[in-house]
Amino acid sequence: MFDSEMIALVAQAFGESIFMTVASSIMAYVIGLPMGFILVASEEGGIAPMPMVNKILGAVVNFFRSIPFLILLVAIMPFTQAIVGTVIGAKAATVVLVVAAAPFVARMVETSLKEVDRGVIEAAESMGATPFEIMRKVLLPEAMPSLLLGSSIVTTTILAYSAMAGFCGGGGLGAIAINYGYYRGDRVIMWVMVVLIVLIVAVLQSAGIYISKKKDKRL
Amino acid sequence: MEQNQTIISLKGITKTFSTRNGTVEALKGIDLDIKRGEIFGIIGLSGAGKSTLVRCINLLERPDGGSVVINDTDLMSLSASGLREKRREIGMIFQQFHLLMQKTALENVCFPMEIAKVPKADAKKRAEELLEMVGLADRMYSYPAQLSGGQKQRVAIARALAMSPQVLLCDEATSALDPNTTKGVLELLKEINRKMGITVIIITHEMKVIREICHRVAIISDGAIAELGKVEEVFRAPKTDAGRALVFHEGDSREGYDGPMERCYRIVFDESNSNEPLLGSMMIECGAPVNILAANTRSIEGKVYGQMLIQLPKDAALREKMIANLRAKDILVEEVDHV
Ligand SMILES: Nc1ncnc2c1ncn2[C@@H]1O[C@H](COP(=O)(O)OP(=O)(O)O)[C@@H](O)[C@H]1O
Ligand SMILES: [Mg+2]
Repeated sequence: MFDSEMIALVAQAFGESIFMTVASSIMAYVIGLPMGFILVASEEGGIAPMPMVNKILGAVVNFFRSIPFLILLVAIMPFTQAIVGTVIGAKAATVVLVVAAAPFVARMVETSLKEVDRGVIEAAESMGATPFEIMRKVLLPEAMPSLLLGSSIVTTTILAYSAMAGFCGGGGLGAIAINYGYYRGDRVIMWVMVVLIVLIVAVLQSAGIYISKKKDKRL
Repeated sequence: MEQNQTIISLKGITKTFSTRNGTVEALKGIDLDIKRGEIFGIIGLSGAGKSTLVRCINLLERPDGGSVVINDTDLMSLSASGLREKRREIGMIFQQFHLLMQKTALENVCFPMEIAKVPKADAKKRAEELLEMVGLADRMYSYPAQLSGGQKQRVAIARALAMSPQVLLCDEATSALDPNTTKGVLELLKEINRKMGITVIIITHEMKVIREICHRVAIISDGAIAELGKVEEVFRAPKTDAGRALVFHEGDSREGYDGPMERCYRIVFDESNSNEPLLGSMMIECGAPVNILAANTRSIEGKVYGQMLIQLPKDAALREKMIANLRAKDILVEEVDHV
């Protein structure tokens, strides 16, 4: 059952899962982080109030957030095809994961930034800081522990999505679980995959908590 | 520095907030001139509009009407970037300190200079000097969470002074501190005012803060200025209900009597005549006793004032005589309809 061929397969799938998770997380943050900042800054009473921008962006985020992942995966196939030239494999899954996770990241970031005390922002305003300076030098560093904690939730969510993508030819540990565990009825393989995924989640989460605690100067 | 020169001039400031439960008229046309180099107090009960007023001075809150002129610049007419530039001339400290929690004391003090693009080395040097001045030379690398309330406020003061402002706004800066720490912070503000010539505006709901360090005071009540003048004058004989409420009925000075009372008078006297038995000699000269309801003394800017609540006899002619007698002794007498 666990011959060298199988081990190589699992190792490759493991690598694919990590690649999908890390790559999609990074890209989801590249898109979602600025969106989170814009959501916070543009709201009424924010540092750069833009009600229209806030409403539209909020609606877009909510729209994508409410589409179930598997349906999104199928629905954006033409988009995926156009971006990476294929709709199967880890690369294609990454595209879908980014589209699904970016709005999630935007909301996570928004929540973290809103935890920053309004008074501190006001103090910065009273010193003549621009909205951009407030975002970069007040909101970002002050919210950093919370953002880091959020990022461990985001990556574990993406990992969970990536396993789902495995059902639809997305590769990774999820694909092995479905091909060997489900179609061939090999329960051992399936549970090995489950344990591997749980391990990755545990590592990501404790790393997030550890770094966040370490960074936080509020004691 | 010229003491009588106006540095801040507020004219007809109005501000209305609309909330779900209707509108709140927080400021109803405030006129105020602050002189360069003075310590000006603004006192009022909670909700009177003090914070809104002080926030209008650096336009953290934009008034609906009126003008804010600082050093001959009309702040309302400035562009966003012009206003940011101008705000560097106005330091501000808050009740809850509002320090950056993820930065050390030193980094906090450097922050306004970083915003103003002061070279890093210069900024660090100045921040160190300022922290030394506020007595925190040994806590430069502490984070706010590791500091006491008084120390945090000192960091905030150092931060507010970083850009050498001409004005320092203090919104309930000592309200979160215990009495001893309050004293220390007020001493520091006094020193800053004296040594650097910085105009200080103190917002508070506590009389003792005003009495401790202010030169002039405005009593604000329900969004309007009720009284304004030298601290000793306003506190000695408040002319309005709002003023009286603050001056004579505050916490520890409560006379232990309240309720309606006929023929009730408040007399106020100061050091020059508080040593003589004024009331006794009046009673002897008029040949009739009075009923003393309450008495206390308080010190304002180093001067001692005494006040008494007395009830005079029913005989109207005798009453007039007694009042005239007291007034001749330079004592302030006023009728009050309730104690
Ligand atoms: N942002 C706001 N929105 C709505 N109402 C406000 C706002 N700020 C202040 N107010 C109201 O204005 C009045 C004055 O408030 P404030 O200036 O904070 O008083 P003070 O500082 O004297 O306690 C209060 O009735 C308060 O509820
Ligand atoms: Mg207030």
